[in-house]
Amino acid sequence: MRRHRVLERLLVVPTAAWTLVFFVAPLVLITVFSFGSENLVTFRISFGWTASNYSAFSGSLYLATLLRSLGLSLGTTLGCALLGLPLAYFITRQRPGIQRLLLAGVIVPFWTSFLVRTYSWVNLLQSQGPIDRLAHGLTGHHVEVLYTPTSIAIGIVYSYLPLMVLPIYVALERVNPDLYDAAADLGARPWRQFRRVVLPLARPGLIAGIIIVGVPAMGEYVIPEILGGGKTLMIGNIIVNEFLDVGNYPFGSALAVSLMVVLMILLFALRRVQPAFEAR
Amino acid sequence: MAGVSDNTGDGALSRRALLRQGAALGLGLPPAVALLDACGGSSSGGTSPKNSIAGTAVMSNYPSWMGAHVIAEFERQHPGSKIRQITSASSSIAGTVQQLRSGTYDFALADASATGQAVAVGIVAPLDWSKIPNIKFVSQSFRSGFPHGIPTDYGKVGIGYRPDLVGEKISSWHDVWRLAPKFSGKVVFIDIDRDCMGSTLKYLGFSANSAVPSQLSACKDALVSIKPHLQAFLNTNVGQGLQDGSTVIAMDWDYDVALNKQKQPKIEWVFPSEGMVAYIEGWIAVKSSPRLPLVETFMNYALEPRQYADFVNTTGTAYVEPAATAFVAKSIADNPVLRPGHAIADVEYEHFLGQATALWTNIWQEVKAA
Repeated sequence: MRRHRVLERLLVVPTAAWTLVFFVAPLVLITVFSFGSENLVTFRISFGWTASNYSAFSGSLYLATLLRSLGLSLGTTLGCALLGLPLAYFITRQRPGIQRLLLAGVIVPFWTSFLVRTYSWVNLLQSQGPIDRLAHGLTGHHVEVLYTPTSIAIGIVYSYLPLMVLPIYVALERVNPDLYDAAADLGARPWRQFRRVVLPLARPGLIAGIIIVGVPAMGEYVIPEILGGGKTLMIGNIIVNEFLDVGNYPFGSALAVSLMVVLMILLFALRRVQPAFEAR
Repeated sequence: MAGVSDNTGDGALSRRALLRQGAALGLGLPPAVALLDACGGSSSGGTSPKNSIAGTAVMSNYPSWMGAHVIAEFERQHPGSKIRQITSASSSIAGTVQQLRSGTYDFALADASATGQAVAVGIVAPLDWSKIPNIKFVSQSFRSGFPHGIPTDYGKVGIGYRPDLVGEKISSWHDVWRLAPKFSGKVVFIDIDRDCMGSTLKYLGFSANSAVPSQLSACKDALVSIKPHLQAFLNTNVGQGLQDGSTVIAMDWDYDVALNKQKQPKIEWVFPSEGMVAYIEGWIAVKSSPRLPLVETFMNYALEPRQYADFVNTTGTAYVEPAATAFVAKSIADNPVLRPGHAIADVEYEHFLGQATALWTNIWQEVKAA
């Protein structure tokens, strides 16, 4: 019995070591760096345990950028949820063969390079591009959204949508279809059925999707860089800039830690709301 | 990048450098060189490990930023010597320094700003110019602008525009700011602080290397005022929209305008009356490299006019070696965009900003966030 327990614990060692080395240690390192200061000419870092990096973060530039990132993250997460929930529900209502086909349709874009997919939106959204020409043909008006916050939002929703669809699908796929029939038999029309049956049952998947989409969307920097035309600064772009362009590791670390703290507060808030959400 | 225990910047031998040098001395040298050493070497006094050019020097470079035949020819003429490129050169200052400190490279492509920073950090090897006599072929102005290595190319930041769509002649940065509201959404600027802010400082009549806070503040105001009319800040394919007219005015590099002009002859290049800012790029040697003799020999070889012309013909860049003109393709040598003649005297070259780098960064971020 004891030998079994030892073996069980040994099984955890590789995962624990991996987490310690590649997750906990970098986290500690970044936190330590965030209290340091750097000579930007010689790139020498000294650790005087200063909080100056955090006080610099409270400047209007960084707070405004953080709020912009938060707004875009919330907006795009909502967009993913609005598109992902009906799509996941639709997939679960199909025959198994069709379900597999539709799921493949959701997943297949992941097989293509993220950069290629994002750059393809530049071609789609640019002036005289397919979307602009289609809109002009239909309405007589040009649609020029490339290099605007709208194009960033489109890019994020497109890229993260599968991350919303899959957990919701998993949640709904386990639901006994008889429940939907029972609701219909009891007189629930489709919208009421969706609101009173589908939505409550999809909540665990929906909440998982919100976390999976919302957290990385908050720190997203590649999509704003490519589709934002360098005009919309996000907190992720500032962090990357501090690390790769300026080389100010302490300040970049302070920004990263601050972003993590904000996300943790949001996640704790979500966890507190979740039980009440589930009980309804 | 900036690990506190990394002492390479002080000239102290790090463990990594020690291992690399040990490997070079003990294992890396070809048997022929070892034999020469044992026999007393050649008439030039022997090829001691210190002065040997045998082995492989690793270079950090941009993709395709090398003459098509230069390395092959060099290796053919210098048996036992090899040049290996890793085409991941960073365009940022911190990125370049980070690469140079990695211990992977013997020499690297870098611009004057990044080189200045690398010198301040203490990771650039001083070159023995007696081993690079071909530096005499490079114009003095470029040697002065890039003193810590061999200058290879430069790029001016000017204006590309479509006269047929704008309907009037543009001759200055002032014209760009004046016309931007009229062509709102069809103007693009470069997304690199040194080039974009440098050009804006020229527009305002200041030095493109200014470190004066009030001047940089004025620069920010000017950029914030024009930003609502910009289609984008771009760092690749800046002038591509000039081809189809989706962009009518672009703050752009000379080579990019020259390239787009080949596809759309209606594009015109403007040397702004307020002046231009330009970057200088070149090769620098890494202090911790055990292959400095090989690096210097290759640098000297690459500066031979024929070899240098191969580089220019391959890349299409503006060039720094007048002696190579005879071997440079006419389309480049006679291109007024790439070779501005006397106007080159009004070009201000970017140099390392030192402590002011942080101020530039802050202002650039404020512009982007506005």
